[in-house]
Amino acid sequence: MKALNFEGSGNEYFKIWIVNVLLVIVTLGLYYPWAKVRNHRYFYGNATLEGRNFEYHATGKQLFLGFLVAMTLFIVYVVIQQISPLGSLLLLLFLFIAIPWLIWRSLKFSMRMTSFSNVRFGFEGTLKESYINFFFYPFLLLLAIYGIPVAAAVAIPMMDTQAHIPSWTASLIPLIIFLSLMFAFYLFALIKKKNASYVVNGSRYGQGIFSAQLQTRKFLSILLKTIILGVVVLAILFLTLGAVVYGTVGLETIMEIKNNMQDPQKTAEYMGTIIPIVTMVYLGLILAVLFVTAYATARQREYIYENMSLDKKITFASTLKAKPLAWVMITNFLLVIITLGLAFPWAKVRMAKLMLENTLVDTEAGFYDYVTQKQKEESSLGEQIGDAFDVDVGLGF
Amino acid sequence: MIEGKWYAEGSASASAARLFIEDDTSYRVEVNNGTVLKGKLKNLQVGNRLANIKRKIILEDGSLFSTSQNDEVDKVFKKHLKINSFIHGLESKYRWIFIALIVTILSAFSFFKWGIPWTSKQIAHALPEKTNQLIAANTLEFLDTYMFSKSTVTSLKINKIRKHFQSKIVPLSKENKAIKYTLHFRSWSDGNMSIPNALALPSGDIILTDKFVELCKNQDEMDSVLLHEMGHVVHRHTLEMVIEGTFVSVATMLIVGDSNGFADMGVGLGSLLVSSSYSRGHESEADMYAFTHMLTAQINPKAFSNIMQRMTEYMEGKTSTKKKESKGNILDYLSSHPNTKNRVDIANQFAECYKKGLTKCDIKVKD
Repeated sequence: MKALNFEGSGNEYFKIWIVNVLLVIVTLGLYYPWAKVRNHRYFYGNATLEGRNFEYHATGKQLFLGFLVAMTLFIVYVVIQQISPLGSLLLLLFLFIAIPWLIWRSLKFSMRMTSFSNVRFGFEGTLKESYINFFFYPFLLLLAIYGIPVAAAVAIPMMDTQAHIPSWTASLIPLIIFLSLMFAFYLFALIKKKNASYVVNGSRYGQGIFSAQLQTRKFLSILLKTIILGVVVLAILFLTLGAVVYGTVGLETIMEIKNNMQDPQKTAEYMGTIIPIVTMVYLGLILAVLFVTAYATARQREYIYENMSLDKKITFASTLKAKPLAWVMITNFLLVIITLGLAFPWAKVRMAKLMLENTLVDTEAGFYDYVTQKQKEESSLGEQIGDAFDVDVGLGF
Repeated sequence: MIEGKWYAEGSASASAARLFIEDDTSYRVEVNNGTVLKGKLKNLQVGNRLANIKRKIILEDGSLFSTSQNDEVDKVFKKHLKINSFIHGLESKYRWIFIALIVTILSAFSFFKWGIPWTSKQIAHALPEKTNQLIAANTLEFLDTYMFSKSTVTSLKINKIRKHFQSKIVPLSKENKAIKYTLHFRSWSDGNMSIPNALALPSGDIILTDKFVELCKNQDEMDSVLLHEMGHVVHRHTLEMVIEGTFVSVATMLIVGDSNGFADMGVGLGSLLVSSSYSRGHESEADMYAFTHMLTAQINPKAFSNIMQRMTEYMEGKTSTKKKESKGNILDYLSSHPNTKNRVDIANQFAECYKKGLTKCDIKVKD
């Protein structure tokens, strides 16, 4: 098995990035599609496997129209969101319905625009499957998390007063809540699995077909471990912070602040103490979330890659581990915050390096037979709208 | 001679190859498998240069010659690649990178500091009056349902206040005759604390809460606040806020672009700081409107600082009797209102002018 390589560097990408930002500013945003193309080309072009490179083929001109439409929609959305609560609710609903279409178009376009060793990728997943994956299951999940417990808590006492149902029904409420949350837990893992199979099994390389046989059981076990890890990390975080606050500020001051919560003037006097504590808790929570996310990402990636193949003869593996990923995510986050965004290019290159160098491909069978398949050109509209509304497909290879 | 790899059209299979320039107009590609391709230089499609990623040259038959020797390609195809060499030129010279960095930082700063407020103002005032009616539609009903309850001020007092407002205060506003001002009286409480406040909707509806009416000790104090609210309406501040908000969101989206969700958090805090700074600007503008019109109407601007101070004291805790000067601290940056001390300073400067019988006043604003 051979690992992918990333041949770019942060210094080099910084130059491209800052010139992009400059041109976007000078053109009042209109350069954005061309900037996006240059960014993509840099990362794809520097990703190599045995001297063969990836390439991004979309042009700024091709993205421009989609960009204008997306921008207009986004402006309408932001304006309505600010002036009408009802309108923004309707918009959210509309977005919820449109997301599967956006993801589908986006996958088709971006895969088609990507090549490896002169052969284009493609995406053949169906729109119907996209609706099942990104609309139906999330909807069920919402129902399970919010709908069922609420309904149970409301409906059972009501039945109790109206029809003469014995009082033991009240004890059903915790049971129903517990069961629906268990169901939500299961659904969550199922969604992760379904999404991954949709993307992998729909992907093509030339005439080659990607496939992955995934099991919900494995996703459930990763999810369970993630939750346990989350609880442990939070416990450690709060114990540490508690000890620090106890050691520096002292219990008496904390009690005093707590007792004077109602008095705005007194509270203002304590701001010097409250602000550092709140900042520490906030920062600590972000770091904890990053760490737990890194664990889940690394484990899922590992599982998906080892079960994925191209035409059953080219196989893959991921050697990405939770700790290095968490380290890069956390240090990147801090770097970008401290430099007010200027370290962004280095952060992005570090992440790309880590991801690619931990992606292995079995190249023994070779890529000699693969040929680009003729297809009609895809429009970039869906991809651009998805980009504007931050719809994340989470492909991350 | 340029060395590289050759791929047949759409094929993944690569062979080593060399590109020769025969004379000024034609080329020859020799592939290691024995194939030789010849043609005119002008028929080649040469890809744009980007750092040192492999350069793509598409031959006449659709096959691909790919090479890392970017500098040689640039030399050979100098005439063909003007625009691209411009951008690559920017990217490869430290002088330009440095300039880009400075321009980016400065323009980002001035865009948020002056560009957005100025443009929003222009747009807000270019829109027809109907826009104001449109964005205010249903707002009062919404507030009535979720925040306010019925006023307990006697109808006698309400009528007196309205009559005075329409006959004495509304005529002072000569800027826009199309605005129809209406006073509304409501009770607003949070927990068991009644909140003193006055709010203006873009349509010209001004809402006074019961506690505010109660705290006003005289007509001048109430008039000063009414003029302040009219300032918000005349300057179309609500509309400006909507437009500013849109600018901030769009700019944020373009900056953050395709980065991950964690950058959003930093940007979120940034845009909160930016929008509260805009809103402080609006408050100061409404203050100025009130003060200048008070001079015209011969009302002592001191009345405004009196009622502001009384309201602040009431909100800061009914129990405490000692006067607390609000110090400049970090929280001021988060606040949507200018701090009371600054507002009182300006009111006092206007009060000086009032004492001298002036109707215009040049004041020094500390920022």
